Amino acid sequence: MKKVFFVSLGFIVSLLFSIPAFAHFQMIYTPEIALEKGEKIDLKLVFTHPFEAGHTMDMGTPLEFFVVHKEKKTDLLDTLKPITWTSLTNSGKAFETSYKLRGMGDWVFCLVPAYYYDEGEGIYMQQITKMVVNTVGAPTDWDTEIGLPAEIVSLDKPYALWTGCVFRGIVKSAGKPVPFAEVEVEYMNHMPMMDKNAFAKEAKAEAPQDAFVTMGIKANAAGEFAFGIPKAGWWGFAALGVGPDTQHDGKELSQDAVIWIKAVDM
Amino acid sequence: MKKTFLVAGLSAISLFIASLAMAHTPLCSCYDNGDGTITCEGGFSDGSSAAGVIMRLMDASGKVLMEGKMNEDSEFTCKKPDGPYKVQFDAGPGHLVDVNGDDIVE
Repeated sequence: MKKVFFVSLGFIVSLLFSIPAFAHFQMIYTPEIALEKGEKIDLKLVFTHPFEAGHTMDMGTPLEFFVVHKEKKTDLLDTLKPITWTSLTNSGKAFETSYKLRGMGDWVFCLVPAYYYDEGEGIYMQQITKMVVNTVGAPTDWDTEIGLPAEIVSLDKPYALWTGCVFRGIVKSAGKPVPFAEVEVEYMNHMPMMDKNAFAKEAKAEAPQDAFVTMGIKANAAGEFAFGIPKAGWWGFAALGVGPDTQHDGKELSQDAVIWIKAVDM
Repeated sequence: MKKTFLVAGLSAISLFIASLAMAHTPLCSCYDNGDGTITCEGGFSDGSSAAGVIMRLMDASGKVLMEGKMNEDSEFTCKKPDGPYKVQFDAGPGHLVDVNGDDIVE
């Protein structure tokens, strides 16, 4: 009896530990990020595991949500509406909004989410996230350092990438490059369905092994990383624990920097 | 010898600059302000400014109704013509962009 208990306990513990093997990713999603002209776009803010479309975490009310266009910052926090997002395994609290893009250039959407307590890991997480939308092909702000506590500064336009291109970024903590930063890369394998607030069941790719689900890469001595994009679609990059804050509410805090890119086939 | 080098260097640089100028694409996008005026924004694919670029408003027959210039923010605002029209962004030969009035909406 005792043995059975221990074996099943061991199984449960190993299950618990296996969950964090897939990376958490804060998403800011809109279907198209390279637009012909200014238009109204719908945005979804979801904290999830994008490759598996797995466990979706409850988001608290974000601390900041804004957009930068032609160096001008516009606060969008009050425009957020709570929604429930359905993953393949559960549902979680998320947010949505819409925004009218007027004219041409880059719009850098920035999210500083509420602190999230991850019981599995016993730490707080805060994934500070950027997503860039462009209209007409005019570059204005995509390479600008916004000045977020943890930030990935793009060296390639996140919205103008063919499949096979390389995406490069600099990982920064309070404005300073982070040498050898640990960066997790994950493919958005199940497409978000905007009208259903859910992930599509159908997977676009299959991973032969867990190391391909969340790919761990590292920045170089100058805090720069590069990633060759093997497949069209959305890719998320998360530099882990790079922000200056390491404690929240008496517990360890991982302040991460996230950026999303979208590649298209030629 | 030094002079030849300098001349060659200069012509190489000017060639390089010329090829850069050719490589970028002119961009122009307009919207209706909803108050009887339209605003056009201009620029180039390399991010350079369109300040001073000539802007024309033309009617359906191609007659120029009005001519002006992009301001220092690469923007041009003018009264919206009554009939069918187009806007022309003229940054020189090979750098023309026409925007149809029907596509200029709020």
